[in-house]
Amino acid sequence: MTSGLDLQPRPVPGPVPAWAFPAADAGRIPAGPGTLRCDLPGRRLAAVRLVLHAGAGREPGDLDGVATLAARALMEGTEPGGGTALTAAFERIGASLYAAADLTALRIALDVPVTRLDAALELFSSVVRRPALDDADIRRLVRERLEEIAQEDADPGSRAMRELRAVMFPATARASRPTGGSRTSVGTLQGSDVRAFYGSVVPAEATAVVTGDLSGVDADAALTAALEGWANTGEPLPTADRIMPESAARIVVVDRPGSVQTYLSFGHGVPDRSHHDWPSLMVASHVLGGGLTSRLNAVLREEKGYTYGMRAGLLRIRHCGLFIAQGAVHTEVTADAVTDALTELRGVVSRGIDADEHGSSVRALADRAPAEYETARAVAAELADVSANGLGTDYPSAYLAAVRASTPDGVARAYRKHIDPEALTIIAVGDAAQIRGPLEKLGYAPVTVTAKE
Amino acid sequence: MAEQPLHEHTLGNGLRVVVCEDHVVPLAAVNIWYGVGSRHERAGRTGLAHLFEHLMFQGSANVAEGEHAALLESAGAAFNASTSFERTNYYETVPVSHLDLALWLEADRMGTLPAALTQANLDNQRDVVKNERRQRYDNQPYGTAFERLCALTFPAGHPYAHTPIGSMEDLDATTLEDCADFFATWYAPGNAVLSVVGDVDPEKTLAAVERYFGGLPAGPAKPPSRPGELGPLTGVREETLDEDVPSPAYFAMFTLPIDGGDDVEAAELAVEILGGGSGSRLYDRMVRRDEIATEVWAGVTRLASGQSLAIVDAIGPEPDKIAAVLDEELERFAADGPDADEAARATAQAERGFLEQTETVTGLANALSQNATQFDDPARVFTAPGRAAAVTGDAIKEMAGRWLAPGGRTALTYGGAS
Repeated sequence: MTSGLDLQPRPVPGPVPAWAFPAADAGRIPAGPGTLRCDLPGRRLAAVRLVLHAGAGREPGDLDGVATLAARALMEGTEPGGGTALTAAFERIGASLYAAADLTALRIALDVPVTRLDAALELFSSVVRRPALDDADIRRLVRERLEEIAQEDADPGSRAMRELRAVMFPATARASRPTGGSRTSVGTLQGSDVRAFYGSVVPAEATAVVTGDLSGVDADAALTAALEGWANTGEPLPTADRIMPESAARIVVVDRPGSVQTYLSFGHGVPDRSHHDWPSLMVASHVLGGGLTSRLNAVLREEKGYTYGMRAGLLRIRHCGLFIAQGAVHTEVTADAVTDALTELRGVVSRGIDADEHGSSVRALADRAPAEYETARAVAAELADVSANGLGTDYPSAYLAAVRASTPDGVARAYRKHIDPEALTIIAVGDAAQIRGPLEKLGYAPVTVTAKE
Repeated sequence: MAEQPLHEHTLGNGLRVVVCEDHVVPLAAVNIWYGVGSRHERAGRTGLAHLFEHLMFQGSANVAEGEHAALLESAGAAFNASTSFERTNYYETVPVSHLDLALWLEADRMGTLPAALTQANLDNQRDVVKNERRQRYDNQPYGTAFERLCALTFPAGHPYAHTPIGSMEDLDATTLEDCADFFATWYAPGNAVLSVVGDVDPEKTLAAVERYFGGLPAGPAKPPSRPGELGPLTGVREETLDEDVPSPAYFAMFTLPIDGGDDVEAAELAVEILGGGSGSRLYDRMVRRDEIATEVWAGVTRLASGQSLAIVDAIGPEPDKIAAVLDEELERFAADGPDADEAARATAQAERGFLEQTETVTGLANALSQNATQFDDPARVFTAPGRAAAVTGDAIKEMAGRWLAPGGRTALTYGGAS
């Protein structure tokens, strides 16, 4: 073809090099948090993750959002009216502090060049032990959270997620309501609520993780110095509920007038991560919506051009999981896209999974681990997460081994057992005037419309 | 990783190669920068560089449609591409066992892409890109702000007046011939830099690159680029929008020095001190003290063939107040400059930013390609912390006065939900 072109034959790759999830040394600070230390040679940015067993799932009644507010207030400093002093102190040593709450845990994250880990942990210590949680800051943070809710609701993807949880979980389940609280709940939160919540955190239930190139650093001693003697005196927080999602066929349109796309989300309840079928369900999700060649993308993107991309995966909640397939499609093709997506979601049940796509998804999930866990931050976050979920530090390795050991039939069987394609909750955030009729005509399930707020 | 020596070579066809060993993980990152982006597009064909990027995943002479992604996905690779004003970037991070395959895939599309160009592929990826535009910009609150600010900041037809996503009309008008011409003009080995970082042997890697890419013809020299300079903005050009957004907001754009000299280092630190994070002046004033905004953000897009850009975004009920306070803070900053602590903090943050950017093989490979493409010096990546540390408070003050003056910006005002 092109003159002067001289191409080589396609090379055949050898076996992928062995790799193992880094081992962590476990310890405990006397009467304080458990610790996990992981030395990662060459990683000059150290990571510290402190997970508190104080997620939104343990918020006292009527105080939805207090865990999120507590996380944000922690970053405001240790002195009332301290302004930028705390942020400046971290910035001065090239460190960053971040805290956030999800349903399971309140997580505090510190990243710092390992040469300044000691200094950063000293600051970190003061934040954990003596946060100001000041009334004036919390009043302002409430205002900012209310604004954030408005922004989240205007974003099609986050609006779809909010609705999916609201529809799938019974109203008594904390997971049915936004993790960061609603307009109503957040609007009433006070500084005293935040102080009481944080004061009830039990240090002995927490885990502190430190990772990075720790040669020449006594990380255990630094962690102990930072957290030993940290005590709280509040009433214990309520236990998190374990209410399961309810799967049934339904279509909920969230009206977004004028929307040029419809954000689609297909949800179904699945067991939690400790279930032996979880790795197989991860493989099934990858076959459906893990990459460009996955079944949903092969049809909805690469064949039909309905979408920029679909993805499918499992949402991790401590006591359960949600299978979610989602993506934004052009408004005009909304019903056609739902039809095609349902065909693929049913296809795993009706025609199973072939050996090639199974092998490809297994390799995609397992062989990407070295890249996924390349940084100290990623290793620390994973160790903190398995700890918060009570899964044990050998979980990441056991999970990867189980993915590799899965079979095409086993994956299809797990999917059939846990996901009923005739009982999917479908959320469609889009222009109801244009999409309601076509969605009703599909005959998949009754269509209800949630008005724009 | 610690700084490692670079191994550089230029092939006979002009392809520039940079290799860096990093044995922390058994991975190889392959990264190619082509020196073409939206600034090289002609009138009526905005979005072509990015649309073409999509076509690079649709197969080539020896790679079937969908096979590029299939081979990489089944190797557990992280791979993607991105198009910006000045360059198009393709990358994959693979288990080191798959390095040769990754190089072969890149060579095949660099050498033979037109063999797989079809009307069906173009039509399909045009639809995908139009949905990308809807998803990322048109259907997002404030989603078109950056595009609008560029159109306000630069005169019509200026290379930076339009953004890489392009317009729906131009995407619709793009033909197969446009795509073939675009490839023939810009996708020559001499207009590309290939970086490989990871658990590799440099000599063997350079030999492998020679093996897979050495047989590609040199192709034509690239056409001269239109100049991109604009200088500091004078006057305030504003646009008021009545889009249905959750809250009123004020978005401002400033031009900054072209990347590559000392000026841009100082100017970027100035923007960081003004609006980078919750310790910054604007955040402290607008969010914490005056409570006229619930969110303020500032950031810099460095550009090497035209003015770099700074953006300040603030969400708050009264955009006029935000604009007035912004003026006050800019005035004060230009007059007094930073205090010593602000400058030291900004330098320390720049060091962490450097470590974050280069600690993964993927990030380092990208930084090497960038510095080779734009500054003819891949090792320049390692001087970033030193360049930031060398900036003086006086230089920051001078840059603030010249580029971030109260009277020189473009701005968008969003009125908020009706």
